[in-house]
Amino acid sequence: MKSRLLVWLSFLAPLVLLGALLVVFYRSSGGLRFEAPAPVEQVAFERVVFLPDEIVAHVRNVGPKEVTLSQVQVGWLNRASWEFTVEPSPTIPRLATARVRIPYPWTEGEPYEIVLFTAAGLPFSHKIEVATATPLFSAQSFWMFSMLGVYVGVIPVFLGILWLPFLRNLGERSYGFLISLTIGLLVFLGVDALHDGFEQAGELPGPFQGVALILVGLSISLLGLFTLTRWLERRRTGLEQQGSSSALLLAYLVAFGIGVHNLGEGLAIGGAYALGEIATGALLIVGFMIHNLTEGVAVVAPIVRSRLGKGEGTVSWLNLLWLGLLAGLPTIFGTSLGAFAPSPVLAVLFLAIGAGAVFQVVIEILSQMKRGGPPGAPALLTPANLAGFLAGLAVMYVTGLFLAV
Amino acid sequence: MSAPRSDRRAILALVLLLAIATLAAWHWGRPSAPVRAAAQSHPMSHHRPPTLGSETFQYAYPQNRLAADQVYNPVPPQPSEKSVHEYELAVQDVEHEVAPGIRVPSWTFNGTVPGPVIRGREGDLMRIKLVNHGSVPHTIHFHGIHPAEMDGVFEMVPPGGSFTYEFVARPFGVFPYHCHSMPASQHIHNGLYGMMIIDPKEGRPPMKELAMVMSAFDLDRDGEADFYAWNGKAFQYADHPIELQKGEPVRMYVVNVFEEMMAPHIHGNMFNLIRSGTALKPTELTDVVSLGIAERGILEFRYDLPGPYMFQCHFSEHMELGLMGWFVVSDRQKLKASASSPPTPTKTPAHFHGAGK
Repeated sequence: MKSRLLVWLSFLAPLVLLGALLVVFYRSSGGLRFEAPAPVEQVAFERVVFLPDEIVAHVRNVGPKEVTLSQVQVGWLNRASWEFTVEPSPTIPRLATARVRIPYPWTEGEPYEIVLFTAAGLPFSHKIEVATATPLFSAQSFWMFSMLGVYVGVIPVFLGILWLPFLRNLGERSYGFLISLTIGLLVFLGVDALHDGFEQAGELPGPFQGVALILVGLSISLLGLFTLTRWLERRRTGLEQQGSSSALLLAYLVAFGIGVHNLGEGLAIGGAYALGEIATGALLIVGFMIHNLTEGVAVVAPIVRSRLGKGEGTVSWLNLLWLGLLAGLPTIFGTSLGAFAPSPVLAVLFLAIGAGAVFQVVIEILSQMKRGGPPGAPALLTPANLAGFLAGLAVMYVTGLFLAV
Repeated sequence: MSAPRSDRRAILALVLLLAIATLAAWHWGRPSAPVRAAAQSHPMSHHRPPTLGSETFQYAYPQNRLAADQVYNPVPPQPSEKSVHEYELAVQDVEHEVAPGIRVPSWTFNGTVPGPVIRGREGDLMRIKLVNHGSVPHTIHFHGIHPAEMDGVFEMVPPGGSFTYEFVARPFGVFPYHCHSMPASQHIHNGLYGMMIIDPKEGRPPMKELAMVMSAFDLDRDGEADFYAWNGKAFQYADHPIELQKGEPVRMYVVNVFEEMMAPHIHGNMFNLIRSGTALKPTELTDVVSLGIAERGILEFRYDLPGPYMFQCHFSEHMELGLMGWFVVSDRQKLKASASSPPTPTKTPAHFHGAGK
């Protein structure tokens, strides 16, 4: 009994001591008197909304102390002091957010700069290249952003799936080429997502630790999917015919990975639209459609060899529908969420999860290719496979040229 | 089952440690008085741009939103009949409010930016004592004619020290004065500047007088000013308009101490310009004049039509960042007349939408 008590006490003691120390330190600085030579204040802009005759800046205090906003200037050619109100309060606690409402007769298509001055006189500014009315949440705008998701995510994936009959007629070597092409596509997608993630992580305010967030996202999807796959495989072993079910499982994994990636991509697209960072252009949508067409191919590549129809060891048509939805539908959530409730933190997280998922899928495909090949043969590194992999990268690169983001 | 001795001792030690920690937290955890005071006194941050209350993004009808003691007094001291003009300028490090709600550490003469207006008469002795309560050496460099050793360039007055500048005032005119310690740009920018008026021997015709120093503040030191101001605080005479009477002659002394061109301009009127204030008679009738760095002039004018008139720097950016204010010209004759008759509700002109709320 007593030694159990001792164990608990020795567990609690450091925590209680730390707590006591924190209380002392927090409330009386523990005898330390650090006076910052200059006020350390950080205010980050999260979103700038253009309403009729009003600009609303959503800001977050990412400094170590609370800040008070005392003046606002709006820059056009030059800056001008402007009236403003802050909701809920001009004094913003650490890590809290506030909305700065500026009644301003802005005009469409003009560049603006918003400058906030703290009571200590530190300016924080944000530039908007092209002012455009921010879509407000309404049935109509929600429909618009959903359709944007359908165009850039869902339709291309299903179009890619439609290649299935053609792909099924490919020979052995062409099949290796196709699977390798898929790997190329996925690797490119993963690297691309990581790149976007790091780029956005760089814009996150310090306390959100963008790069660490990417590590978290990657770990969640890489390890999570690995565990999930193993668990599903163990459950299925012996119940069904190994071939088709594991191919289908792989297809679902691919679809899931691409789906998460598309969620992150949708968040980025919707958010960029909402922030007025990308001009609404048909070219961009076309670019995404071509780019994402390849995702459909990747989804069905694992099941090219499975029989379609009903019965043992086959892949039903319904599966194709689910695969397409799993891969494409998240784009819709992404664009809508990104447009109406943009969160750079979520975008980074989902881009990282998407990247991890895609890499995990690549690992799965590779291990399956290895199992499928003749024993002892270097099945992976055939000329056809190599060509396929490079072709996959090339396809993504070339279709990516259409995305002038 | 009894625990080993060492275990019991360990438990005793831990319990003791926890007790001490709890006591310590209780004792030192109480917030000390200054911390509590600081947490409670949030700076008020009411923004008072000249557009506030207009509801149309345009300038609001002038409103008195600041008390007289919250603005720099624009009226210079009267000409003195003494033959020795003595002043004491004490350098003080204070937090100066450059714009409503924004206080920045500044170096000042007598606690204000700009420093006080120094006034003398041509041929009289100027005796100005500099007392340095600041943290770094300072000087005063006056423009005008004086001996080299009174130029405020060589004698650095250390913190705690003092120095008395003596020179015969000449010629008559308007002059800037400022600290000339190195780096001079920092000493001047931080607030160590002001205006000196030397009257001609025969004096000038009596008028209502105003002294206006034009300057700017670069808060983040990026080479671009963030606020511009008449007499050191952005928009102060927009929030506390300067009252003038119809027909009253006004003499406005203006000095530009900032390193940019400034263009003082009055609305609804013309002024007689005496460049540098070094002549008795004006040479030019205009409504805007360009003043380069340290250039100055005397602007003499008289409003014949009552109403609110803006006075600004004609550079839009300067105006929109604080270099503007209002003259509110009232008709005293009319006021006297209406005081005797039954009071009529004062109506806001229709074109001043949103005024009087």
